[in-house]
Formats: sequence, structure tokens, C-alpha cells
Amino acid sequence: MSGFSFFAAGIMVYIAVLVFVVGMAYQIYGWVKAPRSAVRLGIFPKPKNKGVRFFKLLKDSFIFPHSAESDPWMYTFAILFHFSLAAVLFAHFRMVHEFTPIANALGKEGMEKLGAIAGGTLGIILLVTILFYIFRRFFSPYKDLSVFEDYFIVFLLIVIIGLGDHLRFFAKISASEYRAYFLSVLTFRPFFPEAIAEKGARWVLTMHVFFVNLFVMYFPFSKLTHAIGTFAVNSVRSDV
Amino acid sequence: MENNTMNNTINITPNNTNNTMDEEKTAQREALLEVLKSKINRQLLLYLDVCARCAICRDACHQYKVTKDITYLPAYRAELVRRIYKKNISPAGRIFPKLFEGKEIDDEKLLEELGRSAYACTGCRRCMVYCPFSIDTAWVLSVAKEILNAAGRGNTMLGELADAAIFKGENIDMFKEILQETLKETEDELRGKLNDPSASIPMENTGADFLYVALAGTHTILPAAMIFNKAKISWSLSMFEAANYGYFLGSSKKAKAIAERIVEEAKRLKVKEIIITECGHAYRVMKFLYEAWAKEKLPFKIRGFVELAAEFIKDGRVVLKEKNFPEPVTYHDPCQVGRNAGFYDEPRYIMKRIAADFRDMAPNKERNWCCGGGGGLVAMSELDKFRIQTGRLKAEQIKKTGAKVLVTPCENCRLQMDSLNEAYGLGIEISSVMDFIANNMVI
Repeated sequence: MSGFSFFAAGIMVYIAVLVFVVGMAYQIYGWVKAPRSAVRLGIFPKPKNKGVRFFKLLKDSFIFPHSAESDPWMYTFAILFHFSLAAVLFAHFRMVHEFTPIANALGKEGMEKLGAIAGGTLGIILLVTILFYIFRRFFSPYKDLSVFEDYFIVFLLIVIIGLGDHLRFFAKISASEYRAYFLSVLTFRPFFPEAIAEKGARWVLTMHVFFVNLFVMYFPFSKLTHAIGTFAVNSVRSDV
Repeated sequence: MENNTMNNTINITPNNTNNTMDEEKTAQREALLEVLKSKINRQLLLYLDVCARCAICRDACHQYKVTKDITYLPAYRAELVRRIYKKNISPAGRIFPKLFEGKEIDDEKLLEELGRSAYACTGCRRCMVYCPFSIDTAWVLSVAKEILNAAGRGNTMLGELADAAIFKGENIDMFKEILQETLKETEDELRGKLNDPSASIPMENTGADFLYVALAGTHTILPAAMIFNKAKISWSLSMFEAANYGYFLGSSKKAKAIAERIVEEAKRLKVKEIIITECGHAYRVMKFLYEAWAKEKLPFKIRGFVELAAEFIKDGRVVLKEKNFPEPVTYHDPCQVGRNAGFYDEPRYIMKRIAADFRDMAPNKERNWCCGGGGGLVAMSELDKFRIQTGRLKAEQIKKTGAKVLVTPCENCRLQMDSLNEAYGLGIEISSVMDFIANNMVI
């Protein structure tokens, strides 16, 4: 690993995780410490019981069906983006451990093929949806509503997704090579295995990780906290 | 900060020397920030932190949908408060205000825009229904109104109406006799209508079961009195009107003072329940807000008149002429009665028993469109044109039902419907639920 790679794809990962954990803990502490509103702010109808309320909370937070009625286009893109993102994040766990049952069932080649098809499709969906996000903000009223932060986050995401897609489509790096790198980070001895270190794509990987680090560090201080805060606010929706 | 929100506004008189001017400006800024800080709670922080500015709320607001003016876009309304929050309170915003367009709390342009946005909002909370994070824009704007009031930018008309109500509470003896005099005439009318010389409109009736809080004028007293007398229950008419302009003004201190008049009366008369007439915001204030403002648990129940009337009908205390009304009738869910208080079924139960042809609007219940006149808009003459313009969606909705009569249990809605009726040539009759019952019950 060269100096910059060692920093961006190594040391910085630890800094990012630390900033995220401390920042998010601070943010959540701020929410929890503030007094609960003495006024109940929910909207009716009231869920019949606690079980129904809990189920409604999950539904409102994960699929927010009411939003589809208000703005079907934005809703469709938002759902596609978020579910693809969740799937992609999950798929990254392959770099910690091979999804053995699937790999056994499909064989080595089959598994690589699945990764290429599923990963490729999701990567394209993410790129298209994030471009829709930014495209939409070029027009009123979204343009007038937007602040710098909105563009900054979308910029980070476009770069992260773009570099991720580049790795998926063009870099000839296998899952086991990624895993070797990823595990080296997890075991606090960051290095690029030879197969990566020799390829030009190591720079793409380095920059991908670098921007992910920025994103993760910025997360607790931004509107990105909606990913966590949504459960708290949607719970208030049913508080009547 | 105790007295800032009550009657004093924070002074912004310019001074001779630059030095004192700066000092005063800083002092005012600090004072306004104290108002904001005093209103911070968990829900507000979350509303300010999690909004993604996706603007899915866009067409949920009738005002934005009709005008396409960003001032009325729910996310933008809250964003104005968020800009103050970012600049002054949020840690990240204080370090990098530019990232969030953070603004000073005394920023003239911002306060002007916030004033227009906040006082135009009807507080219907329809945007909350469609928001993926269920952000309560009206709640954020209630904080905005406290800041505006402290900055001397509260709505003048609403302020005067609120002060008049507080004055009445402090000087009730001045009003008592006039009130009782007026009621004598209404009582005669009541006896004629019911053919019952013993029918009465009791006031100051200690130990009564229900304290009924009506509106100014007799139009919500006579029909209610007919129903109470037919139901043969013990009640007492409140000396105060239910309407709360302090709430519309957005001064929780004034709003509390106005509601407190009724609470004190109820305590003095030792009633079991307060029954709020068909007035949406008055019900919300009493049922959902008062205890939070006063930090006390009320020793009696709060119910709306329609809820009680439905009970009388179910118990057979009031007998309706079933399917007596032949013309098509529709019902408007007032936001503060439906979405914000949960009464969807009771009024429909009554309507369906009386009307032979009941037609629901679409959409209805929690998705119902606001009439466009809530939030005190019908009392602000400067917004007359605006509320009629933005009531277009409601007018279209009514037209589609083909109904000849529209029944709704909220005075604000009824006044707005009158305007819409005229402006859009709807040719309908507008009625309260109590009038609809009184005209269609077995005497």
C-alpha cells in the first residue's frame, strides 16, 4: 500500500468508524436528553393496540405507503434507492465471509455470476436513482428548498456509487481478493493483497473507500440521521 | 423569558450610538434565542434533524398545491425554522452554517417570510399524513409563532381578539348581566321550539354533570339547549366562548389564559365534564394542549358536543326521525375533529341515521382536504382572498358529491364554507351537526 492508500483505505477507516460512533451517540444522546413533548403529537386513527402500533411503526418507517399517494415518482425512486442500498450493503458482507450456502449451491462460477448480475443490477439502479435525486433538485420548488448539504450528500453518493460500479464492471478483482483486503482492515493490519496491489483498479478501490469514509464521518451531523431518527418520528405519528 | 411571550415584545428601538445599537441587537437576538430554546423538546429536535427536504409533502398542502408558492410548501415552512436552529443550536450547523444556510434569528428577511408562512398555515396537519418521517410542520410553526410574537411580529388582529378574550375573563362581572339578558330571549325561543315551558338554559349551575362551552352568539346555544333539554340531563352553559385566538396567535401563554377561564369555571361549578361545542381548535386546545401548558391533570373529562350527542342518540335519550332528510347530504371532516382528534365515526353515525342520501367526500377522514379557513384564517381579513383561492380544492370536492347540504362540526370550517359557497357558486346549505339533529329529532 502506498502512503495515500494506506491512509484512505486503512487508517481513515478507523477514524471514520470512530467519528460515526461518537457522533451518532452524541446525536442520539441529544434527542434522548431533550424532554419529551408534553403534547401528544400523533394523528388519528389510533392503532388498536401496542402490537398494531409496532407493526405500523415498521410499515411507516420502512415503506411509508402514504408517501406514494402524494408523490408516486419520488416515492418509487426513493424506495428503489433505499432498498437497493440496503441490499448492496448486505452484499458487502460477502467480504467478511462468503455466503457459503449460496456458494455451495451455485458453485464458484455460479456465485461469481450471481454477484455480477445482482451486484450489477443494483449498482445501476443506485446510479440511476441517485441521478434522479440530483436532477430533481435542479427544478423548482426543490431547487429553492435545497441547501448546500443536499448537494454535498448526493455528490458523495454519486462518487461512491460510480466508483463502486466501476469496480463491479471493469476491475478484475475477485471476491476473495476483496475479502483479503477487508479482513486485513478488520484485523487492524490494512494491506492490499498482491492481486489488488498490482492492478490500476487499486486506485478506484482506494477512492471508493475514501469517499465512503467521508460519508460515514459526515453522517451523524447531517440529515442522513433520518435513517435512524425515522423510527423515533414515525413512532410519534401513532402517539395519540 | 416568562413575560416576553405574554404582553411585552422584545424591544427593537434604535438608539443613537452604534455601540448601544449593537448591544441592543445582541440582547434582542439572545432573547429571541431563549424563546426558541424554551420550546425545544425531543420531537422538535427530531423534526428539525431528520427532514430530508424531499418535498414529498408538496401536494399534501392545499395552499402549495393551489398557489405553487414555495412559502407554503410544508418542508420549506419548517426549513425556515431549521435555518435558525442550524445557525444557533445544532453543533454541526454552528461550525459550518453555510452548509445548511444557517440564519440569525433576527434576520429581517427570514422573519418576514416566516411570518407570512406561519400565519397562513391552517394547522390542518395534512402534510404530516404524507411525510415519510411524519413531520408535524404545524408543530414546528407553533414554535415559529412564539418567536414571531416575541419579535413583535405576531398577527395584530389575532392578538387583539386574544386580548379581548383575556379581558373578558378578568372582568366577567361586567359581562354577566348582558349575557343573562340575551339568554332570556333564547330561552323563550327554546320553550316555543320544544313546546315545553319548563325548558331552560341554566348558567352557574353548580354540581351539573356537563359544562357546555358554546361560541359567541346564540347559534350554538339554541340547538344544543334543545338537545340537552330533550336528553333531560343536568348541564350548565359556560359564560365563556370556546374560540381561542391565543392559540391561532401562537402564544401558548395567552392561549392558556383563555382556556383557563373555562377550566376555572368548571372547577368552581364542580362539573363532571366539559363539553366543547362544534369548534375544532377549541376542542384540540382543551383536550390535547391545555394539560401540557398548565402542567396539571384536569379533574374532569373533555368531550366534544358531537361525541355526547351520539351517546344521547344511542341511549335513546334523543330520538331521531330516521331517514327524515331526503336531499343528498355530505359531511366535512374538520381537521381538528378528524385527523387531529379521531372523531370520524360519531358524526357519520348521526348523519346516516337522519339523511336518506348520505354521500362521503373523497378523500375523507385523515386524508380529507382542509377547508382552507382554519388556523384563524377566517379572522384575518388580509388573508380573505388567499383562503378563498386556496379553498378551491375543497370547493371541487364538495361539488363532486352533488350534495345539497354540507354538515360539519366546526365553526371555522362553516365560515369558510360560506365563503366558498358564494365564491364558487356551490349552491349548498351549510349546517352544524347540532342544527341537523335539532331539526330532525322527535320533539
